[in-house]
Amino acid sequence: MPNKSGRAYGLTTLCPLIGDQQDDQSYAAIIKGRLRNLPVDADSPWAKIPNLYMCRMFVLDDVFYQGKPAHEDHLKSKYLVFVAELHGELEPFLEAMWRVAEDSIRDIWEFCVAFKGVCSTGDFVRYIKQCQVETTFYFNGSNDESLAEQLKALYLKQELGKFVRDQQAHGKDPVQLQRAFSDFVARVEPFNLAGPTWRPGASDLAQAVIPSAGASPVSNRS
Amino acid sequence: MSNKTALDLHDVQGNIVKPYGRYGFPKARYVFFGVRDGIAGRQFVSKLAPLVTTAAPWRPSNVGPKISPIPEVTTNVAFTYHGLRDLGVPRASLQTFPDEFAMGMRARRDILGDEGPSAPDHWDPIWRHDEHVHIMVAICGRDEACLERRYQQVLELAQASNSGVELLTGHRGPNGADDLPYQAANAIYEAGQPTAKEHFGYTDGIGDPFFKGTGAHDATLVGGGKPTGLPPETAAGWAPLETGEFLLGYRDEAHECPEAPAPKLLSFNGTFMAYRKLHENVGSFDSYLEHVGREFPEGKEALAAKFAGRWRNGAPLSRFPTEGEANEFAERWARAKNAINQAKSHIERVAAKQHFAELNQQFVAFDYQNDLSGGRCPVGAHIRRANPRSGLQYDQLLAFEAPGALSNRRRMIRRGLPYGDSQTERNDAGDHGIIFMAINASLRRQFEFVQQQWMNYGNDFRLGNERDALIGNHPVGPLGKERASVVIQRDQNDTKPPFFCNQLPRFVETRGGDYFFIPSLTALRMIGEGSIDPT
Repeated sequence: MPNKSGRAYGLTTLCPLIGDQQDDQSYAAIIKGRLRNLPVDADSPWAKIPNLYMCRMFVLDDVFYQGKPAHEDHLKSKYLVFVAELHGELEPFLEAMWRVAEDSIRDIWEFCVAFKGVCSTGDFVRYIKQCQVETTFYFNGSNDESLAEQLKALYLKQELGKFVRDQQAHGKDPVQLQRAFSDFVARVEPFNLAGPTWRPGASDLAQAVIPSAGASPVSNRS
Repeated sequence: MSNKTALDLHDVQGNIVKPYGRYGFPKARYVFFGVRDGIAGRQFVSKLAPLVTTAAPWRPSNVGPKISPIPEVTTNVAFTYHGLRDLGVPRASLQTFPDEFAMGMRARRDILGDEGPSAPDHWDPIWRHDEHVHIMVAICGRDEACLERRYQQVLELAQASNSGVELLTGHRGPNGADDLPYQAANAIYEAGQPTAKEHFGYTDGIGDPFFKGTGAHDATLVGGGKPTGLPPETAAGWAPLETGEFLLGYRDEAHECPEAPAPKLLSFNGTFMAYRKLHENVGSFDSYLEHVGREFPEGKEALAAKFAGRWRNGAPLSRFPTEGEANEFAERWARAKNAINQAKSHIERVAAKQHFAELNQQFVAFDYQNDLSGGRCPVGAHIRRANPRSGLQYDQLLAFEAPGALSNRRRMIRRGLPYGDSQTERNDAGDHGIIFMAINASLRRQFEFVQQQWMNYGNDFRLGNERDALIGNHPVGPLGKERASVVIQRDQNDTKPPFFCNQLPRFVETRGGDYFFIPSLTALRMIGEGSIDPT
C-alpha cells in the first residue's frame, strides 16, 4: 500500500522554491544555509514533533544529466524536499507539527511558492498535501509503534543492558538478584511512557535520559 | 591458474610467500632509509637487489625440481610512496598508485582507529615525520651473528652513497632508548627454544591464506583457502584463493585483474604491505584476565581463549571447546612431533610425518556453521573477526554465490615477529609488542577494511559497535574510565547466561608504521636502473 506500512506513514513532499534572490543570494541558497545551521540532536526543532520517527530535508536543485544518449531534462524550479516517517495518520501529525514548530517551519518554508498564504494549521495541512508525492514502496525501518513506545523501548534496552552487566559482578544469589531486579523495575517504570525515557533526538547517552516525573530535575547541560 | 602452474617464484620476494619464522629465522631487524639523492638512492637499490631473498622454494615441492638450501639470513626490500618518488619513479607512474598508499598510514589514522593512546603523537620518533621513511630493508636471521653480518653489509652500501642514502634512527627500545638505528624483533624463547608465542601468551601465526601458484604443499590448503561449503575437516571443504588477492597482475576473487600501478612491469608480481608496531599492555592484560577470569565460570584460561578464538596453545575453540580437550590435543601434537625425530626407519618417519600433518591440520580445519550463536567460538573473537570464513552467511546457506563470498576478498597474509622482552617484567610500560605486517593486493579493501569494519566495529557480526577484545581501540568515558564491553555468547541450548567483559582497557596500542610497496625482483632492478617508463 502506498505511503503506509502498518501504522507507520512515509511522507514525501516536494515544495517548489520561488526562483528569486535576496541580498545577492538565491532563495535556494538561503534555505540551504538555514538547513545547515539548524540545531542538531535533541535541540533540533523537529525533535519536539510528536510521533515523528525521522525526517529529512534538503534542497533539490535539478535532475542529473547522465550524458549521451540520455535526454537533457530540467525541473521547472528548485524544490525543498521534506520526507518524514511518522506514526499514525498524516493530518493529525501535520497539525501537531504546526503547533509545536510553527516558527521553524516558517523559517524553512519561507521562500516556497505560495507559502506566504499559510496562516493556520489547516492551511499548512492543505499545503503539504498539495506538495505530497506518493511514496510507492514504503519500507519502515523500525516497528510501527508510537514514538513514545519506541523511545521507551530504547531507554529500557540501554538500562537493561547496564543492569545485566552490573549484576554480573554481584554474584548469583537468586534472592539478591530478584530484589535488585525489583528495584530496577521500580526505577525504570516500564509502563510509564512519560518517563524515565529516551529524549527524542538525543544521540549522546549522557544527555539522553528524561527522568521520571517523580525524580528531582537533573540538568542535562553539565 | 591452478596451484600446479607455478608463478615465477624467482621474481616474487620471499617474505610474501614464506613465513620465515617456520623456516628457523627467530630474529629480525627492520631497517629504514631516507633517500637524499636520487642517483645514490638508485645505486643503493641496485646493490641491494642481489641480496634479496626470493620466493623460490627451499624444499622439494610439487613445482620444479630445484632445492635451494635454506640461507642463514633473508633480506627483503620495500618502498613507501615518497621513497618511490625520491628514487625517481616518474610522476605519471606515481599517480597510478592507490590513494591510501600515497597518503601513508599516518594520514589514514581516522580509518584505522589510531587515536588516543594509539595516535601518531605517541609513535616512535622515526614514524612521526612527513615523507620521512623511504626504503625498508627487512633482515631475518638464524641468530644474532647472521643478522649483524647482513646488517653491516647493508649499512656499508648506504655509507658508500656519500649521504645520498641516510640510515634513519628514531626507534624506541628497552630502557627508554628512543633513537635506535633499527627495529629489532625476536621470537619469544621458552626453555632456550624459540616459540611462536607473542607477549600475551597466545600462539601466533597459525592461519595463513593459501593461494594459487605458490606451489605450497596441498596440506596447507585446508583452513588456508576459501570454504567450499563441504565439510571443513576435509580437503574438499577448501579451495585455493585467487592469486590476485595477494599479488598484483593476476585474477582476483572478483574474477578480474584489479587495477594496479602502471606500467605493468612495475607492479606485476609485487604487492602492498602495512607495517605496524603494536605495543602490548601486558600488565593490563594479565590483570584483567586475573580479575575477570575469576568471575568467568570456566576460568581464566578459557576467558583468554574466548578473546582470541584459540586457546593460548593455539587449539581452536571451534574444535576444542574445553580446556581439557585443548590440552589433550596439545599433548598429542607434541608427541606426534617428537615421533618424527624418534622414527627409526624411513617408513616410520613418513608415517610419523603423516600423522603429525593430520594433527596440524586440526588447528585450522574448521568453520562456524555449527556455531552461529558463538557458544564455542564467540562471534567477536579475534580470529573470527579477522577471517569469518563462511560465518557471514549466518543461517542462510547459499545466501551468496559462495559460502565465503563476504570474507574471501578480505584475507591478508600476516608476517612479523614479537619485539622486546616481557619475561623479566610483565607490565604496560615496558618495550614489548608485535611487529605486525599485513600483505595484500589492496590495502584499502583488505587490511584497512578488516581493521576499521571488523576489528574496531561489530555491525557485520550483529554486535553493534563492539570492538575486538584484544586489539580494539576501546574508548573511555568522560572521566577517563573504561567503558567498553564485550559479550561472550553461550550456545542457544546452554542454561548459563552470556558473560559480559566490562570496562575493557586498551590492550594494544599503535606505536608506528607505514604503508609499503613490495616490488617484484624485476621491478626492483628497474627502480634501481631508473628505467620505469609509464608511457
